[in-house]
Amino acid sequence: MLQEHRHLEGRRIATQGPGVLRVERIEDCARFSLRVADGNIALASKAFGCDLPRTIGATSDSGARLALCLGPDEWQLLAPLDGRDAIEAKFAALYPKMPHSLVDVSHREVGIVVEGTGATLALRSACPLDLRDMAVATVTRTVFDKAQIILFREGENRFRIEVWQSFADHVWGILQAAGREIELGI
Amino acid sequence: MLLIRCPYCAAERPEVEFVYAGEAHIARPSDPSALTDEQWKNHLFIRTNPRGAHFERWRHLHGCGRFFNAVRDTVTDKFAMTYRAGLPRPTASEIKEARP
Amino acid sequence: MTAYRVSGRGRVDHDRPVRFTFNGKTFEGRKGDTLASALLANGVHLVGRSFKYHRPRGILSAGSEEPNALVGVSRGDGRAEPNTRATVLEIFDGLNTASQNHWPSLKRDVGAINDALYMLFSAGFYYKTFMWPKSFWNKVYEPFIRGAAGLGKSPSVPDPDTYASRYAHCDVLVVGSGPAGLAAATEAARSGASVMLVDEQAELGGSLLGEPGADINGRPISDWLEETKAALAAQENVTVLTRTTAIGYYHDNFLGLCQRLTDHLEKLPEGAPRERMWRVRARQVVLAQGAIERPLVFDGNDRPGVMLSGSARTFLNRYGVKAGNRAAVVTAHDSAWLAAFDLAEAGVKVAAIVDVRSNASDHLLKRAKALDIEVLSGWTVTGTGGRLRISSIRANPVSGSGKVGPARKIACDTLLMCGGWTPSVHLFSHTKGKLDWNEERQMFLPGAPTEETRCAGAGNGAFGLLEAMTEGASAGAGAATDAGFEAKASTYQVDGEVPCAGVGVKELPTDRSSSRARAFVDFQNDVTAKDIRLAVREGFLSIEHIKRYTTTGMATDQGKTSNMNGLAIASDAVKRPSPAVGLTTFRPPYTPTTFGAFAGYNRGDLFEVTRRTAIDSWAEENGAVFEPVSLWRRAWYFPRPGEDMHQAVARECKATRESLGMFDASTLGKIEIVGPDAAEFMNRMYTNAWTKLAPGRLRYGLLLGEDGFIRDDGVIGRLTADRFHVTTTTGGAARVLAMMEDYLQTEWPELKVWLTSTTEQWAVIALNGPNARKLIEPLVEGIDLSNEAFPHMSVAEGTICGVPTRLFRVSFTGELGFEVNVPARYGRSVWQALNEAGQKWGITPYGTQTMHVLRAEKGYIIVGQDTDGTLTPDDAGLAWAIGKTKPDFVGKRSLTRPDIIDPNRKQLVGLVTRDPKVVLEEGAQIVANPGQPTPMKMIGHVTSSYWSETLGRSIALAVVEGGRAREGQTVHVPMPDRTHAAAIAGMVFFDPDGKRLNA
Repeated sequence: MLQEHRHLEGRRIATQGPGVLRVERIEDCARFSLRVADGNIALASKAFGCDLPRTIGATSDSGARLALCLGPDEWQLLAPLDGRDAIEAKFAALYPKMPHSLVDVSHREVGIVVEGTGATLALRSACPLDLRDMAVATVTRTVFDKAQIILFREGENRFRIEVWQSFADHVWGILQAAGREIELGI
Repeated sequence: MLLIRCPYCAAERPEVEFVYAGEAHIARPSDPSALTDEQWKNHLFIRTNPRGAHFERWRHLHGCGRFFNAVRDTVTDKFAMTYRAGLPRPTASEIKEARP
Repeated sequence: MTAYRVSGRGRVDHDRPVRFTFNGKTFEGRKGDTLASALLANGVHLVGRSFKYHRPRGILSAGSEEPNALVGVSRGDGRAEPNTRATVLEIFDGLNTASQNHWPSLKRDVGAINDALYMLFSAGFYYKTFMWPKSFWNKVYEPFIRGAAGLGKSPSVPDPDTYASRYAHCDVLVVGSGPAGLAAATEAARSGASVMLVDEQAELGGSLLGEPGADINGRPISDWLEETKAALAAQENVTVLTRTTAIGYYHDNFLGLCQRLTDHLEKLPEGAPRERMWRVRARQVVLAQGAIERPLVFDGNDRPGVMLSGSARTFLNRYGVKAGNRAAVVTAHDSAWLAAFDLAEAGVKVAAIVDVRSNASDHLLKRAKALDIEVLSGWTVTGTGGRLRISSIRANPVSGSGKVGPARKIACDTLLMCGGWTPSVHLFSHTKGKLDWNEERQMFLPGAPTEETRCAGAGNGAFGLLEAMTEGASAGAGAATDAGFEAKASTYQVDGEVPCAGVGVKELPTDRSSSRARAFVDFQNDVTAKDIRLAVREGFLSIEHIKRYTTTGMATDQGKTSNMNGLAIASDAVKRPSPAVGLTTFRPPYTPTTFGAFAGYNRGDLFEVTRRTAIDSWAEENGAVFEPVSLWRRAWYFPRPGEDMHQAVARECKATRESLGMFDASTLGKIEIVGPDAAEFMNRMYTNAWTKLAPGRLRYGLLLGEDGFIRDDGVIGRLTADRFHVTTTTGGAARVLAMMEDYLQTEWPELKVWLTSTTEQWAVIALNGPNARKLIEPLVEGIDLSNEAFPHMSVAEGTICGVPTRLFRVSFTGELGFEVNVPARYGRSVWQALNEAGQKWGITPYGTQTMHVLRAEKGYIIVGQDTDGTLTPDDAGLAWAIGKTKPDFVGKRSLTRPDIIDPNRKQLVGLVTRDPKVVLEEGAQIVANPGQPTPMKMIGHVTSSYWSETLGRSIALAVVEGGRAREGQTVHVPMPDRTHAAAIAGMVFFDPDGKRLNA
């Protein structure tokens, strides 16, 4: 197969001092946008192999599969790349019984990890949310300056941003500026 | 920047995540062809534009994506309450009770 | 040591000299000085010329309210800022400053002629002076106004600095760190609440920094201040921001804070932002903004050397600077007496205290006597002497009946004045909080709040130290409690405080003609008491009208020192009480704020999101010229060395028509519509009929608004019975998806169908030209590409170069065409593979300009260029795209409205210029008869216009009233050079039968 060109590949924001701030692109994965009605969540969970959380903002994982609940009937499903076709096939088989929409958006987004004791501060440069209120293992769609992002708090000091490719440079540029401020302690 | 309570997310979120979407409780006629030109004009263009409590639609665009309804005071800009799309127009006493 | 520096006094570092320049001359100050205090220490009072009359002006205040002392600051490398207040500018070694608004020099200014002509420049002079003769407007008045307009010199090169922004949330935000603010923050912090304390000055303390004498809780003020600061700094739940101005208070306790990070630094840290805009959401807010001293209004009150009494006290106690060696005082308030006492004790000769009140307190009189200060109670000041600096005042007794007695001249080199104190209610006013008039105290005080906010201290009328601290503690505890914490207000003990009182006054009484008095109310906009009274005589009764007519309070200081005096005089003139005259509205920002701070990160590359496709990098490497299309940047054309745009586009067009072109169409909006009701949903949204469209087929879809006008269009593929791949225009992608979601969620929630944006999932490569099939045939697997199996308007899934593809057979050029959709990360590789494989057919990458030309030759419209939101399908010649048998779709009802079916509506047509070489201007108006008198009747305009290399002539599309019925008629298009004749034609200029498309 031909070569893939990955946005932000090889770029890295890191400040001096251990564990202060590290911003990097995340390895590619399979991503699906799943839309399914309330009554079918159990079936869909089975198909994905991971219980779909029912509360907006909740997440769940099983093995390397991750389900992020973004709306009342909307989930972002993340899985290792090699699981892509099997997931599609499982859902397709269920379609007659369980009408839903499963759309491959693997290439739509770029994943960015923002990690370190300065992660929250870096995000506060352009994210209007009160991150003190955001529990670990919760997710939300929000904005980062002028870009829409999905923000997933993986740990106290570790966030994952999912952003459409063409907005990634903008998000990166601001994180870079914020990283410089953290570096300078200003 | 306003704080807006999304009735789907059950959380107060910053205004930049939302977009305004016009007056609420204006249902599209089930058969527009049955309407006279005058009635259709009224449906399309005539809005209440009140001073005070205004029923309006918002969408949590950069959030859960849902359209919902709100009661907002056009003088103070303050939200009295928000509620899910499809629910009936709240009564005056419900609005009064909801106001923080 | 200069004559005006008091050794060892104040908070400046007397061991750290700082050298700076003002108007080219080098001066020495101390670390901790502002430019104002440093200049005063050198005996410099004259720092600028006034805006309108070019009167010499000095330093009026010691704070951010300063209206006069505006200077230009320049630190090289393009770093220059006009109108910086000398009173807030911290000096550092090498600081370079200059006065403004004069020529040729500060001391000899030609513009001062205005001062002699002041009768011409009275209130509303703009509206009166420049009225006649009309012929003077262009040659005399306008150049004069332009020359005189503006304050300071704007920088001439781009700002080299960067700016930052940050969001913050806290439980309690305290604005102002004077006694009330510190007490509030201390209390809230103790409760465990997260607290932000902000102050515009370089260090915390506010009025405490210039206050000697009193003790707090048994400790001298300076000690108490240090301890309190240290205690706050030690708490993790407290964020202290100095050099940070709360500029605006917005809805739901959202405040903007502008933090100055580097302006005070001698050396700029590499890469550091200059300022940061904080956007803070606080559960509770305590406003402790303090109070601003009012000037007194009398003839000559603007002469350099005339200063607010509290400011003179601040210069002495905080900066160790005497404002002069021989001071006089004029006041309506006790606090000026304290300033006089401090100065006298520091060795300044206080020539006299002129108090407009006749009943001074015994304790003040006693102290004055002890310091050998003459007291003139019940006197007035009627003038000042001196040119560039005050040398004397003219004081007169006022009898009980108000009669002004004979004048006495008192020599002085500085005059301290005090008309009382105005609570600073600016931020409270931003929230639309109501101000209540306190008749007894003659001031507006914060009333019922509209936000979760409390006002405390002098900003709330609590001027006394103990009073302010008590109120601050209570506000801090109350805010913490309301934010959900347990708090109880501490009590404070203050010893040695001198209680102060005063009266409200308008202009001071005078024995001279008040019409000749130059008694200033607004120093920055040069508005006098006479101007305000004139405005009232001319019929302006509302304070809002008086403000605009006289411009009082409209300068960059927003009338911080002038509003209350203006109101008092206006209220006297209209003979109505102050609250009935009302107060003008304070608006953000509280003090002048740089554009950079507002822009934050959004400048340069981050000014706006620049969206780039997966193929963009290839285009850049291959010399593309780009154009912005909504947020995207798209390859516009690919010039070869030596080619201009016209030549490049002609070559790209020719290559595509004759052999093969390739085009990056990735920016097209894409929406995946999935579900059992997908076709029904499409039927309701789009004008076309979708039920019978077979899977594997494409259809051109047209989307209207309910008003019947075209909103968007695009080619739509049915992948399976329940799955559609919709494309939209580049700019319409987000809008169309939002519109669809709106109908789906709120009008037809019963439909089982879901929408997902896939715009960025796919890179799209459009291949057009007679050799397009030959190119991809060997590269595609799993799809039979023959014309029979895969005719025009088909879609199929397979692979290309081994990469999964959704292959569309579609054309926006009129040539045989394919659109290759591949997952985005493969976009560039597939593009390169196709480009290499296509070399044998001379494959030519083309940009948006060639795309525009090729589609126009075929009469394909571009929504947003050929339509403008007022075109119906019929107007655009697209009536064929309407599913006639469908009962309803969005916009259908409007298509039968009488105005929509009017045959004389503007319709899209082709235009063929009589001279084939003339390319009309897009947007040019069209008239039927060029000989008619102006204004001519315009019957339409050109929407698209190009040189067509294929046809060897120009082509154009236009909307023309009743256009289709005029086919063959000649119309005229006036352009700057001359009027061009053109014939109305059909819209399809090339291959009208579509033979090439179906090849």
